Amino acid sequence: MVVLSAFALILWLFIVPMGMGLLIQKILPNTKKTIGINFLCGYLLSFAVFEVIAIWCMIKIPYGAFHKCTVAFASIEGILAIAGYASKIWEIQKEYDRNRNLFYLVFPGDERSKPEAMISPRTDVRVMKFQYTRESLVYWGIFGAIVLFQLVMAVVKAPFDGDDSYYVVESLLAQQADVMNTIHPYTGSSTALDIRHAMAVFPLWIAFIAKMCGIHATIVSHTIMPLLLIPMAYLIYLEMGRILLGVRQDMIPVYMIFISLLAMFGNTSIYTPETFLMMRTWQGKAMVANFVIPFVIWLFLWMFDDCRKPGFLWNEETAGGLRIVRNSTWVMLFFLNMAAGIMSSMGIIFGTALAGLLSFLLLIYTRDFRIIPKALISVIPTGIYLFIYVSL
Amino acid sequence: MYGIFMECWVIFKLYGGNGYLLALFVASLIYLLIAEKDNRKRLVIAVAPFMVIVGFFIPYTRIAYVAVLSDGGDTYYRIMWLIPMGACIAYTGCKLFMNHKRIGLIVVSVLIMLCGSIVYKNQYMYKAENAYHIPQVVVDVCDVISPGEDEPRVRAVFPSELLQFVRQYDTNILMPYGREMVVPQWDYYNAVHEVFEKPEVINAEKLLEATRLTQCRYIVLNESRKIDVALDEMGLTLVDNVGGYNIYEDPEYAQ
Repeated sequence: MVVLSAFALILWLFIVPMGMGLLIQKILPNTKKTIGINFLCGYLLSFAVFEVIAIWCMIKIPYGAFHKCTVAFASIEGILAIAGYASKIWEIQKEYDRNRNLFYLVFPGDERSKPEAMISPRTDVRVMKFQYTRESLVYWGIFGAIVLFQLVMAVVKAPFDGDDSYYVVESLLAQQADVMNTIHPYTGSSTALDIRHAMAVFPLWIAFIAKMCGIHATIVSHTIMPLLLIPMAYLIYLEMGRILLGVRQDMIPVYMIFISLLAMFGNTSIYTPETFLMMRTWQGKAMVANFVIPFVIWLFLWMFDDCRKPGFLWNEETAGGLRIVRNSTWVMLFFLNMAAGIMSSMGIIFGTALAGLLSFLLLIYTRDFRIIPKALISVIPTGIYLFIYVSL
Repeated sequence: MYGIFMECWVIFKLYGGNGYLLALFVASLIYLLIAEKDNRKRLVIAVAPFMVIVGFFIPYTRIAYVAVLSDGGDTYYRIMWLIPMGACIAYTGCKLFMNHKRIGLIVVSVLIMLCGSIVYKNQYMYKAENAYHIPQVVVDVCDVISPGEDEPRVRAVFPSELLQFVRQYDTNILMPYGREMVVPQWDYYNAVHEVFEKPEVINAEKLLEATRLTQCRYIVLNESRKIDVALDEMGLTLVDNVGGYNIYEDPEYAQ
């Protein structure tokens, strides 16, 4: 049973999201086709799809809603993951030869640059990956040890938070009673949909994982989610660091050590994102502060980094300068706005507000008015979400 | 307006806690605003956060926030989440010590540790007693009263120290009141809570009257809790004693 549950966890938390990420990978520039970004994109798509299915089931299905939601979501995730893997296999079988490393065929962005590429004037060295020196590898080792320590502590320590008796019980109710927010978590009495909390379906996403893996939802929330979500937050900070530090990639592990120490020592009050990340990891608001907001900032660092890029670099990075590849950040922002809704109803407003501010700055910097329609399209999910929120 | 500004200032100070890490961030922000030569990075990592901070202190922002969001007053601090403080500090540390990596790593790491507060020393961080991360006594008590697979759900009264964990373990156990009764600022009324938690010595007759009105099958009572007449003398059955808690079953609702 334990082995089956462990396999199911690997399937639903790694294999399926990676497959889904391969679908988004198709529209990314080559340098961004890394395993880390693929993983993040997979979750972005997974959360976005769950948002649509869960809210529809919650509003439209009066009895046994969660079971139907689980069947629908599992089917769609499965189809998307299989489509992702199938399309990738189709794509790489054309390029495959025995001398090439299969991993780099799937994730070409992770390939270390060759010396001749680095001295070529036709490449953007800022986005290329170099071989790390031994010293940098030691720093990576230190960072890895800090993260490992944090993950061990997440398992052996049990932070108390009163809100768990709402959010964690919502997950468990879905798993045990097959309901979606129609039983009061505190007492167990029937209740009408509390729309302020109901639209934020992240506890139900956790319940989905719990149900598919046959593990108690409280164990999934308290013990398993930190093992997934804390490294995921670091992945976003890592991508931010790659852009911020540019060619000085030797500084990235040092930057990540600082980030991990800040996460551990950021408990200066009960309000900081770091406190939420380490003590309330499984709650949607922690994900707003440590997934949605950093993701928005990373996407805009990427957009700013790409603007004013010479055409020849674009052509090289985007395999011919496809328009969809150039606009991949806006597509991801669209999905992020969908995903933000599952975390918290405030999260979707916060994410959109920050995206609005940064779009405004991007507009001023580039004086490219095509940004306005792109930004407006990317916030359509927010508009729909708020419309449902106020009309229910 | 000045009053609202001061409210924002108080929220800012509360957010910062000891204030040292916040000071480190402000210093990093000022450094990046001045020293970052790449405007593209500066706009995202320094100018936008600066604008958010300015917006945070503008009284109109708070007025609008409170007007739009139902609990706006309590969650105003979350505007600060829009600022990537960690990335700002870490990036500044890297920039300052770009050419003295080893010294920089030590200096900045020590600075973060001294200015910050480690999460594992938080007063609400306990040693996990099981994979559920809830007290083991709750698991043990619930195992005694949990209904079997084909049995109907049961309702039980729990003392406030166990209240928040019970339904995280088993949602087939219902309760006449839950967490809403132990958050002082919410100030709700519940008849069972009134007679079970508030008096120093529980009046057994009043307690039974209240629990029977809410169809409670079990009463979980800390053995150190004072009660005027023992519940078994009132006709209840002492099912078990688990971890210092007496579990009584009311025969009126027993199957």
